[in-house]
Amino acid sequence: MKKILTIIFCVFLLTSCSQSKDELVMSTEAGFAPYEYYSNGEIVGVDVDIARKVAERLNKKLVIKDIAFDSIISEVKTGKSDFGAAGISYTEERAEEVDFTINYSESKQIVIVNKNSTIYNLEDINNKKIAVQLGSVADGYLTENYPSVILVREKKFLAAIQDLKDNKVDAVVMDDLPARELITDNMRILDSELVTDSYGMIVKKGNTELLNVMNEVINELKDSGEIDSYILYHMGINDNDTSKNTIFNRIYKSVIYDGRYKYILEGLKNTLLIAVCAVIIGIFLGTIAAVSRNVYENTNHLKLLNLISKAYVTVIRGTPSTLQLMIIYYVIFKQTNINIVLVGALAFGINSGAYVAEIIRAGISSINKGQWEAGYSLGLNYYQVMKNIIFPQAIKNILPALGNEFITLVKETSIGAYIGIVELTKASDIIASRTYDYFFPLILIAIIYLIITLFLSKLINTMEKRLNNVKNK
Amino acid sequence: MLKINNLKKNFGSKKVLKGINLEVKKGEIVGIIGPSGCGKSTLLRCINLLETPDSGKLMFEGNNLLDGDSNKDIRRRIGMVFQQFNLFDHKTVLENIILSPVLLKIMSREKAIKKAHELLGEIGLEDIANNYPHEISGGQKQRVAIVRTLIMKPDIILFDEPTSALDPEMIGEVTNLMRKIAKEGMTMIIVSHEMNFIKSFCTRVVFMDDGIIKEDASSKEIFLNPKNEDLKSFLSKINAY
Ligand SMILES: Nc1ncnc2c1ncn2[C@@H]1O[C@H](COP(=O)(O)OP(=O)(O)O)[C@@H](O)[C@H]1O
Ligand SMILES: [Mg+2]
Repeated sequence: MKKILTIIFCVFLLTSCSQSKDELVMSTEAGFAPYEYYSNGEIVGVDVDIARKVAERLNKKLVIKDIAFDSIISEVKTGKSDFGAAGISYTEERAEEVDFTINYSESKQIVIVNKNSTIYNLEDINNKKIAVQLGSVADGYLTENYPSVILVREKKFLAAIQDLKDNKVDAVVMDDLPARELITDNMRILDSELVTDSYGMIVKKGNTELLNVMNEVINELKDSGEIDSYILYHMGINDNDTSKNTIFNRIYKSVIYDGRYKYILEGLKNTLLIAVCAVIIGIFLGTIAAVSRNVYENTNHLKLLNLISKAYVTVIRGTPSTLQLMIIYYVIFKQTNINIVLVGALAFGINSGAYVAEIIRAGISSINKGQWEAGYSLGLNYYQVMKNIIFPQAIKNILPALGNEFITLVKETSIGAYIGIVELTKASDIIASRTYDYFFPLILIAIIYLIITLFLSKLINTMEKRLNNVKNK
Repeated sequence: MLKINNLKKNFGSKKVLKGINLEVKKGEIVGIIGPSGCGKSTLLRCINLLETPDSGKLMFEGNNLLDGDSNKDIRRRIGMVFQQFNLFDHKTVLENIILSPVLLKIMSREKAIKKAHELLGEIGLEDIANNYPHEISGGQKQRVAIVRTLIMKPDIILFDEPTSALDPEMIGEVTNLMRKIAKEGMTMIIVSHEMNFIKSFCTRVVFMDDGIIKEDASSKEIFLNPKNEDLKSFLSKINAY
């Protein structure tokens, strides 16, 4: 077991150490066409086009990280990414955290309503329910200037649009260009915009070296009109064709068109990889924690390790796993550019270890006290009793429970999307961000999760039967 | 052989043993009787160090058992037979018997197997050597548990209600084995509610009540001429007096 673990770690480290001085790391949240979106397995868009020019100028290789919009600033601040480009509007608040380049594009914040809505001008939105993307310019602007508006803050603006479709809100406020990409025939945009803001890219405060190069490149691209042509180009390949909305067409678009199944495959690979590594790390940590506690309770040895284990299990079980993942990613691995899947495996492994520790503890305490006493009364010591009498019996309860823990892990990995891991849930998100249709990607990955967990449950059942047979032989 | 002096044991605030004094000589068969909950099991468990006494003295063959680590080895010389047998469920009868002597390197595996077969043979259990505990009867289980203790060559064996969990028709096979062992000179302390067995088998009987020993006399004296009032009412309650 330990050997396998070491090998996995080495492979991870090798792949993660490839991050070097020759790379220029950009963080974004793809799903904001025409600025950044997925096409044929790659992140493309206006921001990416500009970023490539910057990388070219610096003679570096561009690496793009797809993470949550509201994490981009902290990514850049902590130096995990060299810069952020995600159609980020300039605000004074943000400018206190990071340095902005000159603006490369302007965007109007516009109001989208359903066709039959009674909202016709900006005054009408007072007292209405409006969906925005959390932390976006629209969010900040409405909060400040329209106190009567009831805001629904969605993690993604796509969800905001969905709210409008479902009549859960009266309007959506968002950037103009992406809005034109995704409104349907049943929606309209108010004539006057709410506010105009300008997009800039962000770098860590004081990184003038990079900032100057970026400003230089942006200036040139603006002057030559190239940025405008980027925008036209990326608006042009919008595939949101609502005229052929048959079921087959929707499935086709969700899975096949533009190689979209690749996201699912990539997601599936990462989900399974993280779950497998995490359960191995979890078993390793959990065993140490459980054993040191049991040793301490029975022999008074390993006092320190017992204390650490107790604290570990208490903290992990007492805090949300999303929080643990973010702490490990943003706090512990703050400065290092470590492979994100490795961070996921590690975070989920540490999380799982606490639960595995409890599984092992429960497995051990499920064994009748009389078994211990018989062992002791025959002159055996704690370790002999544990190894020869208790553990071989406890393992029959522990193994199936570990299988269940693995099933839990497979499902839990979905929160890996928070730090940008492309696992199954994120994969469906990516597809939906292109098709503007959540239904099929979500159903598809739900089915995949179900198949995996059903298969694993079956496996555990068989294992349980086998173990019982051994016992009753 | 065994000398217990003013032994006390509490569970939390509950005083269970309130000062036990008892001496057992080699070859004696001592029965312990008394109402349930009076501390009989706790006393046996203290002697075997399954419970740690709070105070008092526990001398075994001149060694103080409460004297730290030096007694680890002595424990194997005090055998214990439990009401619930406590055979190792995942091991066969044979493996149950040889586990401890092999692990403690008292004898080689081959020798242990040979000895186990020999002991099982003496009581007609050679056929079940490779069976698992759940495949054999309660009487067989308890006899295997006794053999498992015997192979350690203990100086004394403690029996805690060895027949209480058995169907009536199986009690005989266990008590017969105990008589056989006694004949070979084993020292024993037996807690039991089988008054007829205690009466006919034990050389000496101790009446425990409320955490102390209230009467300690020959088996005949206890049953035919009890002096303590609590003992009298105990015996009359169970129709033995
Ligand atoms: N581990 C324990 N924790 C708390 N109380 C106990 C424990 N073991 C025994 N007792 C209590 O001590 C008393 C004596 O128990 P025990 O020695 O088993 O009695 P007996 O064997 O004479 O029936 C009982 O009241 C019982 O509830
Ligand atoms: Mg008892």
